[in-house]
Amino acid sequence: MIEEYRTYLPEAKTVLMKDKLLKYGQFLFPFLVIGFFWEISARIGIINVDTLPAPSMILHEFYSLVWQKGALQRHLVHSLYRLFTGYILAVVVGVVIGTVLGLHRIIREMFSPTLSLLISVPTIAWIPVLLITMGLGGKTVITAIFLGGVFEIIYSTIAGIRSVDRQQINAARIMGVKGLGLFCKVLLPASLVYVMPALRLSIGYCWRALVGGEMLSAMIEWGIGKMIYEARFWNNIKVMFVGLIIIGILGVLLDRTLLKRLEEETLEKWGMLAER
Amino acid sequence: MGNACREMKTENSDIKIEIKDVRKVFGKDASSVVALNNVNLKILANKFTTIVGPSGCGKTTLLYLLAGFEQPTSGQIIMDGKPIEKPGSDRGFVFQDFALFPWRTVLGNIMFGLINNGYRKKDAREIAMEYINLVNLVGFEHAYPHTLSGGMKQRVAIARALAYNPEVLLMDEPFGSLDAQTRKYMQGELISIWENLKKTVVFVTHSVIEAVYLSDYIVVMSARPSKVKGILKSDLPRPRDFVGDDFLALRKETLGLLEEEVQKEIKLDSL
Repeated sequence: MIEEYRTYLPEAKTVLMKDKLLKYGQFLFPFLVIGFFWEISARIGIINVDTLPAPSMILHEFYSLVWQKGALQRHLVHSLYRLFTGYILAVVVGVVIGTVLGLHRIIREMFSPTLSLLISVPTIAWIPVLLITMGLGGKTVITAIFLGGVFEIIYSTIAGIRSVDRQQINAARIMGVKGLGLFCKVLLPASLVYVMPALRLSIGYCWRALVGGEMLSAMIEWGIGKMIYEARFWNNIKVMFVGLIIIGILGVLLDRTLLKRLEEETLEKWGMLAER
Repeated sequence: MGNACREMKTENSDIKIEIKDVRKVFGKDASSVVALNNVNLKILANKFTTIVGPSGCGKTTLLYLLAGFEQPTSGQIIMDGKPIEKPGSDRGFVFQDFALFPWRTVLGNIMFGLINNGYRKKDAREIAMEYINLVNLVGFEHAYPHTLSGGMKQRVAIARALAYNPEVLLMDEPFGSLDAQTRKYMQGELISIWENLKKTVVFVTHSVIEAVYLSDYIVVMSARPSKVKGILKSDLPRPRDFVGDDFLALRKETLGLLEEEVQKEIKLDSL
């Protein structure tokens, strides 16, 4: 072969064990420092533990919620079920609507003011309306999650579909691909450059909608948002903090383990990240 | 031995594609641009035909009409007795900027056309491997396009366009974005592949040397609104010598035809 080429080397990406530990250390260090001073301040009485419990008290509460009452798991299962139902619904509906609007100029121009209007309404503002129309149960929460995520996905899918290289579409067409095949085999993977960041952003929006929805829906019994809200009646600030921390940790975990992995397996592997 | 002639003088049976009075206008009203006007051309089966012309003369537009990506404003393009109305797998297309699918491996890209034309996965894979061999990419079948150099990408694109065995191969300045060394190498590769398969090729380029090196017929287009200015036939033996006397003579003749048009184009631009 005459020409130079860049060799395909997946091995180059393998991170050494030592580097990995260092990375986790870097990640954890600020938390440990904050936790340490927080604990000290609580012990020597700078902080009133009735309003801001010490980390050790929160950990203890966490332990008792998980192993003695078995409540936390149950709250989480309900929340995650709602989150994924609403999120997946938002992704599917968002991609379909986004594709239609991305492909047809007239429909897009017709609906884009409506979309701008809807996206500027905070999800939490929908909830009182949903409580009346959808009832006080889980359906309202799932709908709120759906609304929280769907607009971001619609917008990004429109941008993604419109950004697809005309030549790639032509290449597929001359090989006899059209209609749904063209959508699945070309439009969808090509627009992932725009859709992928939206998938990551919108799961965060869905999370927020979930917690808000659970707090306001009177008929539901289980859910992490419910847990925090109910703790208010017992003045149990420790449970609230367990809830807050769990929400934060799960948010990071969902992004890091699920969506970031998905991005690595698609855009990064295909060399499409630079295009953005 | 280039003898300029207005028509390719051959029997009708050899004609693969006939372009009849084709006119293509982009845009409407005052802002419209006449890209092609009154283009008449017969493209012969199993021959390598190159279209050269001054830049912006509508060479690519003509190729897009042959592919069916665009429709002529008036006139007709007939392939094997049937008008070309839309893209279809009886033709293959190689783009200047490759237009590979970055989410598919080399093998996946080449299998794309096969799978869509009803081949079973196993057969498609086998055929794709043959073409990977043909374009010298063995060992890279599982690489993703972004890891390849420009020349390698274009070889994938050529293999992809050939694998499903289209009757006509349309190539739009396929080596335009490659460096000079790679370009020269690819021209040689293309000719050896073509000599193997003897397909009807329509190749658009702005490089006269490339046209003279590759073609059986060189079609020179006029400046916009363009039509066919002249056709040169070349039966120089292959592989051709870039500095042979016959080669240089044909090159000069082609350049002569083209030169007048380039002058016109420059005048048009400076108005």
